[in-house]
Amino acid sequence: MTDKPNLTENNATVETESLSIGSYVEGTTLQVAKPKWFMPEWLKALIALVPALFFLIIFMIYPIINTFLLSFLEDFNWIGGSGSSFAIVNWIYSLNPDFRGNPAFWSFNNYVNVIGDPSFINSIINTALMVVVSVPLTIVISLLIAVCLNSIKVLQGFFQTVFFLPYVTNSIALGMVFNVMFSKGGPINSVFGLDFNWLLAAAGATRWSMFFVVTIYSVWNGLAFKILVFMSGLATIDKQYYDAARIDGASKTKIFARITVPLLSPQILYITITSFIGAFKAYTSVIALFGNGAYDFGGTGGKEWMTVVGYVYIMMQRSQIGRAAAASIILLLLILAITLVQTLVSKKRVHY
Amino acid sequence: MEVRIENLTKAFTSQKGPEVIAVNNMSFVIPDGKLVGLLGPSGCGKSTTLYMIAGLHKPTEGTIFFGDEEVTNVPPEHRGIGLVFQNYALYPHFTVRQNITFPLDNVRPKLSKQDKEAIAHEMARIVDIEPYLDRKPKELSGGQQQRVAIARALSKRPKVLLLDEPLSNLDARLRLQTREEIKRIQRETGITTVFVTHDQEEAMSISDIIVVMKDGIVQQIGEPQSVYDEPGNLFVAKFLGSPAINIFDGEIKKNVLFVEGVKLEEGEIYKKPFVLEEKIELPRQLDEKGNPIGEVQYETKTTEVLDRKVKVGIRPESFRLNQEKGLISIRKHYIEHIGRDISIVGEIDGQSASHVKVIIPSELRAQVIDKEVSKFEPSRFYVFEENGTRIK
Repeated sequence: MTDKPNLTENNATVETESLSIGSYVEGTTLQVAKPKWFMPEWLKALIALVPALFFLIIFMIYPIINTFLLSFLEDFNWIGGSGSSFAIVNWIYSLNPDFRGNPAFWSFNNYVNVIGDPSFINSIINTALMVVVSVPLTIVISLLIAVCLNSIKVLQGFFQTVFFLPYVTNSIALGMVFNVMFSKGGPINSVFGLDFNWLLAAAGATRWSMFFVVTIYSVWNGLAFKILVFMSGLATIDKQYYDAARIDGASKTKIFARITVPLLSPQILYITITSFIGAFKAYTSVIALFGNGAYDFGGTGGKEWMTVVGYVYIMMQRSQIGRAAAASIILLLLILAITLVQTLVSKKRVHY
Repeated sequence: MEVRIENLTKAFTSQKGPEVIAVNNMSFVIPDGKLVGLLGPSGCGKSTTLYMIAGLHKPTEGTIFFGDEEVTNVPPEHRGIGLVFQNYALYPHFTVRQNITFPLDNVRPKLSKQDKEAIAHEMARIVDIEPYLDRKPKELSGGQQQRVAIARALSKRPKVLLLDEPLSNLDARLRLQTREEIKRIQRETGITTVFVTHDQEEAMSISDIIVVMKDGIVQQIGEPQSVYDEPGNLFVAKFLGSPAINIFDGEIKKNVLFVEGVKLEEGEIYKKPFVLEEKIELPRQLDEKGNPIGEVQYETKTTEVLDRKVKVGIRPESFRLNQEKGLISIRKHYIEHIGRDISIVGEIDGQSASHVKVIIPSELRAQVIDKEVSKFEPSRFYVFEENGTRIK
């Protein structure tokens, strides 16, 4: 702090000196003009941040706080239920003199109801299964593909493009393609000589056949971006480590396990955290596969592979805003806990 | 382990531009247990040679033998060599201990934990880094990293140790210290060692044998002192020695050698003529349009030249002060004081284009300090043809 005033003073001196070069007359004293007001650094930063902050506050921070509060409001409804004068939206309504809001009624009932709801428990199990199975699978597969792509020399650009294609394809369209591929007369059945409906419960699809397709779909859909990140990570590893490891007599698998993976650990951590979060938020993958609208999660009741996010949407569709909020908060806490564990583990395992 | 290199050639091909021949038909033998320095200006192919011995580069032609075994096509992991990279290439995510024991995990996987630990300590003791075994490479100074790299290369008991410009990343004082260290480690372990450097002083001071290279071709091989004393050609004479050798324009006239107009020596060796070989393009048949047909053919025409221009090299320390009878008169520009010696920078009297540096003991300072022109007697000089080959 002490040299800040000096700094500004020096700047001012330089400025006035350079101005007075032409007009300097012998005998006159050089006057150092002190600027009246200097904008402090933090204010400059704030001005630069305002546009981003504006949208972040409106579309991220306020909704998070609002969701948190709503989850504790019993029987919340936009107009008639308890606390209907509470949310900012309702507060705007309440400016209308004819509007009659009800007092807020706080409780844990939303949480109790959500946790007691078998379809929520089902959606938690489903989400957990997807996370546990598909995330490690995509990471391992994309890492192997990235390493292979990195080591081939012929047609590298071509293969990179091929593996990146899923990323630029719409996931609903991908889902439709998978739906056709795994249908009764689809290519998968023809190739493997099967006669089996993978996705349609009414035609004999089981819970696990659906899960199998969901897993393949989400693994494949997630590959592109992960391969890209891993390849850029591989490009930063000094080739000399590989020469050194060869001189040190290490086999290919050993080089991969003890040199490549540790040196790629920052990228692996990044991909792990983002894929876990992405998998916890799974919704599109299931919807896209079964293809019967926004609330069909497969199975006879359309609930077989409902995910937590799917549960939230269904609750909102039924105007159960409080329950939807409670389920969202539970999901948030889950993701937060997992990410926290990952960062703690990574402190030991990641080498920057 | 003796290392034998026979007719080794390495050509790098690139899609753009012509083929670059980094090493050209090179043959030499590195005797068992010796420290050999590959010396040359940058881009002369010395590192390429080292990497071919290591197996990281595949030679275009030629063979490499370790003892009696041919290893030309053996991959580096099976050659049993240790290599210290120019920037060390220590694994950044391993501790010093893990860096040293990593080769052991691969080469001798059956080794018990205690034995590995013992080897790590032994290597750390040899290179004097024992207190830092649990540190990561980035927590060490350049010199310490360099020694860890040597320890890693030594831990698997290599048959051959290769060092690629091992001292180039160190400061002057550490460089002196480390090069003595390398010499000591090499003596202690008795491992055949090849190291690459562009610093002639470094190569001279620690090598048992130096190999001087230029443009992928070996210029001279020998013990440092004998290469210095008897340079095979003008390049070697110029490259070795600091300050560099003085090169003068000379002339052989009627079996007498003159330097800058001064008669220097008369002798039998100046009676041998220089055989000039010229390639002359033969006339070819012409087709009806007047274009030549067929391939160009040459005829070699040899002419013997007796009286000719030559280059004469005199090392700065070979000048003996002889104010009475000295043959070479040097007009002084200024005197540099180096402590033990002084050096006179000047020109040959009457030849303002010439540049000469003379080193004499500082006790003779009084004899030259006031004189514009001093006379010197060369105690030793080398005569080269204009194309660089030595006349002897």
